[in-house]
Amino acid sequence: MYKPLDLNKAQSFPRFPGHSTNKMTSPSEATTIPHVVKEEVIASGKWLKLEKTTYVDPFGNTRIWETTKRTTRQTGAADGVGIIALLKRTLHKDCVVMVKQFRPPMGCCTLEFPAGLIDQGESAETAALRELKEETGYKGEVVGVTPVTCLDPGLSNCTTQIVMVNINGDAMENTEPTQQLGDGEFVDVLLIPLDEFQKKIDDLMKKEKIIVDSKVYIYGMGMSQAFFKPNELRVLKQ
Amino acid sequence: MSEFEESGIGEECGVFGCVAAGEWPTQLEVAQVLTLGLVALQHRGQESAGIVTSNGVNPPTYNTLKGMGLVNNAFPPEGLLKLRSGNLGIGHTRYSTTGISELQNCQPFVVDTLHGKIAVAHNGELVNAAALRRKVMRHGVGLSTSSDSELITQLLALTPPMEELDVPDWVARIKNLMHETPTSYSLLVMYTDVIYAVRDPYGNRPLSLGRLVPVSKLHTTVAGEGDTEGWVVSSESCSFQSIGAKYYREVMPGEIVQISKHGIKSLSIVPRPEGDLPAFCIFEYVYFARPDSIFEGQMVYTVRQRCGRQLAIEAPSDADVVSTVPESATPAALGYAQQSGLPYVEVLCKNRYVGRTFIQPNTRLRQLGVAKKFGALTDNFAGKRVVLVDDSIVRGNTISPIIKLLKEAGATEVHIRVASPPIRFPCYMGINIPTKEELIANRPEFKDIAGYIGATSVQYLSVEGLVSAVQGVTPSTQDKGETISLKPSRRVGHCTACLTGKYPVELEW
Repeated sequence: MYKPLDLNKAQSFPRFPGHSTNKMTSPSEATTIPHVVKEEVIASGKWLKLEKTTYVDPFGNTRIWETTKRTTRQTGAADGVGIIALLKRTLHKDCVVMVKQFRPPMGCCTLEFPAGLIDQGESAETAALRELKEETGYKGEVVGVTPVTCLDPGLSNCTTQIVMVNINGDAMENTEPTQQLGDGEFVDVLLIPLDEFQKKIDDLMKKEKIIVDSKVYIYGMGMSQAFFKPNELRVLKQ
Repeated sequence: MSEFEESGIGEECGVFGCVAAGEWPTQLEVAQVLTLGLVALQHRGQESAGIVTSNGVNPPTYNTLKGMGLVNNAFPPEGLLKLRSGNLGIGHTRYSTTGISELQNCQPFVVDTLHGKIAVAHNGELVNAAALRRKVMRHGVGLSTSSDSELITQLLALTPPMEELDVPDWVARIKNLMHETPTSYSLLVMYTDVIYAVRDPYGNRPLSLGRLVPVSKLHTTVAGEGDTEGWVVSSESCSFQSIGAKYYREVMPGEIVQISKHGIKSLSIVPRPEGDLPAFCIFEYVYFARPDSIFEGQMVYTVRQRCGRQLAIEAPSDADVVSTVPESATPAALGYAQQSGLPYVEVLCKNRYVGRTFIQPNTRLRQLGVAKKFGALTDNFAGKRVVLVDDSIVRGNTISPIIKLLKEAGATEVHIRVASPPIRFPCYMGINIPTKEELIANRPEFKDIAGYIGATSVQYLSVEGLVSAVQGVTPSTQDKGETISLKPSRRVGHCTACLTGKYPVELEW
């Protein structure tokens, strides 16, 4: 059935006369590479701005998207870093250092990996170690960095690099860590063992009213599936 | 030593326990701590090892891992994985004496009682086991093994008279057990979320407590109460260093200690009958314990050294060098050398891969083969008169080939000095000593023991000498102005039954 194009809801799936409504048009039949043609700032605040993004779709049609962007992006690769920090102590389970804080946009507390924006002149690694020290008090060492990844691409252009960090929990400096929080930062540090990570997150959600960050939950799910799903080729029904 | 090692007069077992402090589920790897603790007690038993962990909730889940052989063979990594949810646990290394070494005979034993499951690990041998078995069976309890440890577990399962219906009174149950049997046992009883550490009223077998602290605070004095990561209990304190625990104290003879996530609590001390002294096995000092373990506030190495000094005072020799059979008599030999002023040299080189736990030649070959266990460091003693210090001679068939080896390599005289008195009597408290007839000290050959083993002279430490060296009141220590480590008012006593025939308690058959 023909539905006219609604410019206020640019995200809806379009239907044109001449095209069967049941047929799925695949991008491989398209004629253009989609690209942005114009970006107009609609509103701007201290940290964020709202833009009207004009772009061309795979069939050559011009469309509009509502986009949010940070005002703080540096010339470096990503807006910010997320940190997966493993606290390693002799004869203890390896624990992931997590942070719990009230997030005004969510209206409740969230459970996330420590994170922060990359300052001017900083690399992702430097930003990660600095943010970790400030938010949690732990002093770590970088063992790996992911490429630049997007956070919520339907909403904004925000990118992040996840930095893998190991913390030597036996060292004197990491035995009693002290946070160095900025004004307006109220962060609780939680240590969650890698062993049965997903289960511990689920238990925490039952106890407290928190929303878990998707990167955290996926991490837990990935580990559960990787470690506990038997690697077998199910050919015959057992 | 060499003789003990050869003939397998073994210490029965070692026990180890751990409770994680703070919040549960704990981040402490309890199964790893138990494994490392047992590795440090491996010298007390190599036959088999076992661990039981509890998740500490009510009703609890107990997970068991048992295996034959040394700890690293008995516990494969996949096996340890299922014990990962443990918040507390106990472990045991076993040296089997009688009976087949089957996996189900390995401790710790887990048994269901009226109030739920308990796990028990035991070191020692009940002196009245036979009579107690009959008594227990008269109560209607059936026993499936011949082990004492099963007997202990059944006695704990008996309901004491005053106990209420739903509430278990473990102190009463343990006290009941302690009244039924005087010695010897060092016991760990795990129930849901606590471990009870028990030592018999005579303190015959050892048991010590330790406190787990962060690695960075292990060697400082600043580890406060808040730093406690867990509590451990072990047959010997030598295990504490390897797991990052600080030595806390001994479990006193007759004491029942409760170890929980909140800490250590002394629940009771069962006294000995009027006038009886404690009877800590003196052979723990002489041979069995690791030199770095601490008993009664003193290090085993130091006591062995004092024995050597006392031996030099009682049995001096006209010789050129002092040496020993590697390795357990080294502290005694060093003490002898220091006291006598003679130089200490090494005369034997040991092949650690020949012996009871590895290659086991037959008896005849072993008589010859003992010589192959050792090689002579000829340069150090050729043409000289040697004093060879050993910690014990039991049958005499280990030391003879060694003397022959030394003489053939050029020693002009070989004087044997034994850092303990002759063993004449059997032990019923857990040391597997040969029968009375086999003991060299009871045989007619003992009159000319030197001739029998081929030595120039043989002398033993006297019983009084040994006891005074152990109790820290030897003339040598007084000469040098050393402080006596044991308080004079404290009641001190050691079991010397195998040396004197005086047993700490009436033996019941």
